[in-house]
Amino acid sequence: MKKKQTYHRAHPTWCPGCGLFGVFDALKRAAANMGLAPEDVVVVTGIGCHGRMNNYFYSYGFHGLHGRAMPVATGIKLVNPKLTVIGVSGDGDAYSIGLGHFLHAVRRNVDITYIVVNNRLYSLTQGQMSPTTMFGMVTISTPFGSKDFPIEGPVLALAARGTFVARGFSAEAGHLAFLIEKGMRHKGFAFIDVLSPCVTYNKLNTFEWYKKNTFMIEKEPDYSPGDKSKAWEILNRDDRIAVGLLYEEEKPSYEELILPDTDQPIAFVDLSVRRKELEIIMENFR
Amino acid sequence: MIKDLSVMIAGKAGDGVLFTGNVLARLLKRHGWEVVTGRDFPSNIRGEPTRTTIRASLNENYGPGDLVNILLAFDCEAILDNLPLMAAGGTVLCDGEVVVTPPRDQAEGKTFHKFPLRAMAREKFGHEIFKNMIALGALTFLLDLETTLFEEIITEMFLRRKGEEVEKKNIQAAAYGYEKAREITLARERLPLARKEDGERLLLSGDEAIAFGALAAGCRFFAAYPICPASEISHWLARHMPQFNGVVIQTEDELAALNMALGAAYAGARAMTATSGPGASLMMEAFSLAGMAEIPIVIAHIQRLGPATGIPTKTQQGDILQWVFGSHGEFARIILAPGTLSECFELTTEAFNLAEKYQCPVVLLTELDMGQDYRTAPRFDLSRVRIDRGKLLTQEQLLGIQDFKRYEFTFDGISPRALPSSRKGLHMVESLEHDESGYRDESESNRMRMMEKRMKKLKKASKDLPRARVWESRKAGAGLITTGSTLGPVLEAAAELRKKHVQAKCLQLRTLWPFPVHAVKRFLDECDRVFVIENNCSAELATLIRSQVIPLPEMVSILRCGTRSFRPREVVEQVEKAVR
Repeated sequence: MKKKQTYHRAHPTWCPGCGLFGVFDALKRAAANMGLAPEDVVVVTGIGCHGRMNNYFYSYGFHGLHGRAMPVATGIKLVNPKLTVIGVSGDGDAYSIGLGHFLHAVRRNVDITYIVVNNRLYSLTQGQMSPTTMFGMVTISTPFGSKDFPIEGPVLALAARGTFVARGFSAEAGHLAFLIEKGMRHKGFAFIDVLSPCVTYNKLNTFEWYKKNTFMIEKEPDYSPGDKSKAWEILNRDDRIAVGLLYEEEKPSYEELILPDTDQPIAFVDLSVRRKELEIIMENFR
Repeated sequence: MIKDLSVMIAGKAGDGVLFTGNVLARLLKRHGWEVVTGRDFPSNIRGEPTRTTIRASLNENYGPGDLVNILLAFDCEAILDNLPLMAAGGTVLCDGEVVVTPPRDQAEGKTFHKFPLRAMAREKFGHEIFKNMIALGALTFLLDLETTLFEEIITEMFLRRKGEEVEKKNIQAAAYGYEKAREITLARERLPLARKEDGERLLLSGDEAIAFGALAAGCRFFAAYPICPASEISHWLARHMPQFNGVVIQTEDELAALNMALGAAYAGARAMTATSGPGASLMMEAFSLAGMAEIPIVIAHIQRLGPATGIPTKTQQGDILQWVFGSHGEFARIILAPGTLSECFELTTEAFNLAEKYQCPVVLLTELDMGQDYRTAPRFDLSRVRIDRGKLLTQEQLLGIQDFKRYEFTFDGISPRALPSSRKGLHMVESLEHDESGYRDESESNRMRMMEKRMKKLKKASKDLPRARVWESRKAGAGLITTGSTLGPVLEAAAELRKKHVQAKCLQLRTLWPFPVHAVKRFLDECDRVFVIENNCSAELATLIRSQVIPLPEMVSILRCGTRSFRPREVVEQVEKAVR
């Protein structure tokens, strides 16, 4: 256990009341519960309001390109599996420009925890429609209402054979911290879609709206995250949005499968020229 | 005794043309010859015409020559297209049902033999697959090659992987082809080759040389998306990387490939990706990130013919300016262009040092005909491979530092680097403009200083960069400037021009960026007329020279827009026309 202040670098400048404050708090709590040294954590972010997370959360940080957080995070994890690698993206980052990377990261089951802060808009750029914007919603880019049907991250993750699929709510920071911690402890890819209201541009999906339209699956009497058909069923419900750990299964992680030796991080391998072995390999060219 | 000849194997995709050619190349190499293959195949798996030409010379061998001496075709129709390339006195062997009558003017002076390879393979060995061995046996006879050396190669190919029975049968098929050729050809058709010691030489493709160079240089992370003609690098590394505790990842696309390699490099690996054509365009985005975040990375680009999907199996040099000036924003980058097989290896090993020393992306720019064709080369000298990780700090060094700053303003613009997990090295990598610690800073003063810091990194790099190479030292009437694999035909053309009393010398640019201004200026001073020879339509290399060298004498561009590289004759003719 560490104090959550350990990871507090600066006070965020997100709009007052933004859901990202809850995510920031939950992330710090989860890291504290895990007792992680900030030097052993890398937070990889994409482009959007969430991307400022690196400025506030104290750890190694990589603020890359729009949509490309997952390949960067995968590269880092494979080269040094001892690091705790956390990806933070927005809904535009993960489900639009980076959708391909997202699905492939899920199916590879790399040991990364991926938090997608879903505010259903591109808020950093004035609130354009995103892939999770509700059908018909008027935004700056859809003055006559969105004609695109929304997609849901957890549905995609489950279809891509995700081994840890969860949904959090940024108003429930304690619960979200629990999900993130569980995700970090999960061996393999842990995906958490976080319902996170944008208080500036999204006047539809507000905190109140989510409180009315969500329910905690942990409180459902016979729900088990090990039951995939139940997970599908609950994700297909139209009336209310399920929050909690939707699905979890055990599977070997990508690095366990693909790295010759997980105990010897590539990052610190001795690179001196192995002449003897290379000379033998060169014989193949004779 | 013959000192230089070319053998063409032609057929349809799926006939084993490449296999046959590659075995012949190895056989000729074992006889001490310098060998270059020139594959010419369509981008499909079966059915379309395909061919490969094996050029063998006793001495220096620069690349595909002008003419073919022996043509072996798996179907007779294939000979029609290729007859114009045949040298006088050439021999043609062909198989196939269709009766083909070559035009009289093209047939003159050449000997034609119907050679029923498939039928012989079926009847004698029970399967058409043996047609290739029979063909190779016939060529062994025609070139008066040692059957024992051929059998040695067959054993290497089949004994371990397919067992003794398959090996034996192949040896028998080869012997059968040898005897059949003896029966049907005339004594004058035989081209007995001079012999030399094979020595320690190698025969491999440019892609393999790059892959081997990467492995030797300590590359331990390779991520790429399959694309012709760069995939062979990935395939080779995938087999050998585990032994060195490294990993090869096939990514979902090229965006992921470069981003993943950047993540790996940031975390401490010597990392690389390889691509071509459209893949390079996709990488342009992360290329800029590598520049901004100052992450060492090596990108091999094996150029193919564009634009768009273009002709994926044909060579070109149409992507030079894309890398020199491409991507958004301005940042330091190094572009290297190997022109020989040895340089594919050497420049790759150097690329990793340059990337880490200057903390910037390094592009290895070569071409399909260098990447995929096989060439002989002296054994690579591993004793010359050195590893220089630049300002990468160890944990011990970091503990001795107060207030580590990843992007510290330094006299040379190059800042110290720390790897994640290091104590006292904590920092941010930021694609936004950032301060010395890596945190976002959009102020005017910071932006100006940061930009200056990043751009000045390469100011003094020229001492470390592969120098432009000058061939022939004296003053010359014709100066030929080129880069990449076009070097081969240009060198051969220069030799030919000298025979015709045109004093020609060549300049090979091995570093395209930072541009070697002084070397080019000096060369221009030493030549009366200057020609820039490159395998593209819009004179990209000449454009680059024009943008960097002032004042500039008149330069004549010799360009090729087609589906193959230059033949030496094409260069000779154009230079001669301009000089005389």
